[in-house]
Amino acid sequence: MINRAQFPPILPLAKPNLTEPVVSRLDNGLPAYRLSTVSLPICKVDLLFNAGIWNQDRPLQASITNTMLQEGTQRYSSGQLADLFDVHGALLRLMTDQHIGVVSMVALTKHLPKLLPVLADIVNGAIFPEQELQVLLRRRKQKFLVDSEKVKILCHRKFIEALFGRGHPYAQSLQESDFEHINRALLCSFYQRFYHVDRSEILLSGCVMQETVDLLNEHFGKAMTLHPIEPQKKYEIRPAQQHYIFVEKQGAIQSAIRVGKVLVRKNHPDYIPLQILVTILGGYFSSRLMRNIRGEKGYTYGITASLIGLNEAGYLVISTEVDKSHEKAVVQEIFKEITRLCDELITEEELDRVRQYLLGELMRDFDGPFAQAHAFVNVHVFGLNYNYYEQYHELLLNISPEKLRELAIKYFDVASFYTVVAGRAKN
Amino acid sequence: MIRFVRHQLSNGLQILVYPDNSTPMAALDVCYHVGSRDEEPHRTGFAHLFEHLMFGGSKNIPDFDLPLQQAGGENNAYTTNDMTNYYMSLPATNIELGFWLESDRMLELDFSEENLALQRNVVIEEFKQRTLNQPYGDVWFLLREMAYQVHPYRWPTIGKDISHIALATLDEVKAFFFRYYAPDNAAVVVSGHVKPDECFRLAEKWFGPVPRRNVIKQPLPEEPEQTAFREQTVRRRVPDNALYFAFHMDARHTRGYYVCDMITDVLACGNSSRLYQKMVMEKRLFVEIDSYISGDSDPGLLVVSGKLARHVRIETARKAVWNELNRLKAELIPVTEIEKVKNKLETEYILSQLNYLNMAQELAALENVGGAELINRLMSVYLSVTPEEIMLTAARIFRPENCSQLNYLTK
Repeated sequence: MINRAQFPPILPLAKPNLTEPVVSRLDNGLPAYRLSTVSLPICKVDLLFNAGIWNQDRPLQASITNTMLQEGTQRYSSGQLADLFDVHGALLRLMTDQHIGVVSMVALTKHLPKLLPVLADIVNGAIFPEQELQVLLRRRKQKFLVDSEKVKILCHRKFIEALFGRGHPYAQSLQESDFEHINRALLCSFYQRFYHVDRSEILLSGCVMQETVDLLNEHFGKAMTLHPIEPQKKYEIRPAQQHYIFVEKQGAIQSAIRVGKVLVRKNHPDYIPLQILVTILGGYFSSRLMRNIRGEKGYTYGITASLIGLNEAGYLVISTEVDKSHEKAVVQEIFKEITRLCDELITEEELDRVRQYLLGELMRDFDGPFAQAHAFVNVHVFGLNYNYYEQYHELLLNISPEKLRELAIKYFDVASFYTVVAGRAKN
Repeated sequence: MIRFVRHQLSNGLQILVYPDNSTPMAALDVCYHVGSRDEEPHRTGFAHLFEHLMFGGSKNIPDFDLPLQQAGGENNAYTTNDMTNYYMSLPATNIELGFWLESDRMLELDFSEENLALQRNVVIEEFKQRTLNQPYGDVWFLLREMAYQVHPYRWPTIGKDISHIALATLDEVKAFFFRYYAPDNAAVVVSGHVKPDECFRLAEKWFGPVPRRNVIKQPLPEEPEQTAFREQTVRRRVPDNALYFAFHMDARHTRGYYVCDMITDVLACGNSSRLYQKMVMEKRLFVEIDSYISGDSDPGLLVVSGKLARHVRIETARKAVWNELNRLKAELIPVTEIEKVKNKLETEYILSQLNYLNMAQELAALENVGGAELINRLMSVYLSVTPEEIMLTAARIFRPENCSQLNYLTK
């Protein structure tokens, strides 16, 4: 008989291979970062532009410009473009965040000779046709309205607005009327200023060889206009006066809760240890918030705490959805757990578990070419390099309970937190 | 060719190993061939509730998650109509821990009233979060109830009614476990940086002693053929009118299943697809439109659904969709269009192989519907589908008397 009460031995986790990309320069000096593996004949091309929400003058300008790239060029109509990508089984993904606009494509490597010229075309020759724009705006507006029925979205919108102030690019305070005020001219001007191949960064991952880079050079390595870099805009963070905000949503069965505050940005020395602290609080399945509020009380399906790191600031957000009747109790318990981090030292046992879990996560973050590409973007866009991951690994192994408590005391003053609840009014 | 090896333990448990040395990680997936189809009509949502209970500690291991996190692992699970699937990923050097954890909960759970009471609450909150508190959240309740009269696919996995979950008793939980959670009703898939022989040895060591339970499956009632058009109209607090068409389609083990899958791709996969180009871009009747299959083992549903543009009448939108469906019945689709769909499927097929965890789940899902070996035949089935077959299948599926139409209107 085997002894089932006995753990099989757990082996110490090796340091993951923090694979960095190989850089080649195209003829015009443009860097192409490459994370290759040849196991499967598929690859991803990411084109990164400094075209995020931070740089827009009007709401929606950055994201609509990005999405509209696929809706027509001087050479091809919207339908023809869709067909060109679909015929080769390519998956095109257009995405905008606070700081960057991304054009990303996953395709079988054998189709790249046909696809790269089309990709270059949408970046160089987009024309933003009016009819397609109207269709897209209607779709986006409709999604906005559906989202506006969800307590978690209403809560989150109000929460980031409370943290950063209306008008700040991180707050994205979108209104229904914004969909009426965006127009073709605004898209064209944003496009002219921020979508230049010679100011982009190219990232290749998966099955890519020298031929792929040569091909890339043909389509992206010739542009030599050298557009000037636009100066980064400045925005001031103007947090709300009120630290508790209630958003009414008639008929809501559950209430959404957000608790958090502005913290340091990604390149601050406290950012990495704060990540560990936030993981203990609510960053994994056995986190304190999960064990308390789901595991012991059964008040929620899930509760998480995340540290969001951006260029100009970072923030902590604790999110959950609970029955209206548990709303107060849950907010109380959240603050109890925050306070406990400041009052008590974490046990070695718990710290060791979080450490091991995060080491496993770090291995996952570098597992395979697409994950490695993501890991690259995660530091590169923030002006950081792989020292970030080296430090992270080092700190994971060595951080002490005292250091974590010190950090909690420094940042987790209860009075500095914001609480936003969205749900039905009190009965 | 996707190379994996299979071994059967004497208690009936199937072990499948898919080595992939490009990763330092490993995945361990345990698939139980039980889902919401196996529930009693007055206890819907039970299979999914049970999935939650599987994390409440087993005979010899009080906490499932803590040791796994200690080993650098993470895990989750999901329940469908046909199966309940548990998966974990962890550094490959610690794979034995996965065998230890999963075999103990296959042996016996630590049944307790406290855990049941707790998980009932969690699942009830999940029910609210996913359905009651979401715009359009009850669509699948309505569609299933309309399309099925006798087959258990007529209720969703989350359950038909919260009260079914609230009333579940510990005796029912125990009975369900010993009836369905058995080595002879399960498969273990290991993938990643592992060696088959070592996995078979560990399987023998940890799962070998779990007793066979001689699982007997009751045959499910067969859904009678639908003979008349069904329609329902509901009004809800949502921003836009939506229209849903559900058609009965072929079972998973038949060729027709794949043809139906391709039909939905022709209709709605990618921006160049027929419905998107016609309904969204050209005629602007819909702001979004989609088509998909429910993916069930027994005959499932092929769905066409969309949100209408403002001021478009339901009748206008309905006619326009039927025009497109009828076109598939009347005209052979051009070879270039079918090639497009096949190329997309090829990309997705290769993409899915990039990730060991995904592969473990895929093999488990196929094992549930008749054998993981199917994975190496899938593409050739898709590639062999002809325009004529698409036309014939469309003619068989897209008939008003095979259709349940849901008009989901704003209040």
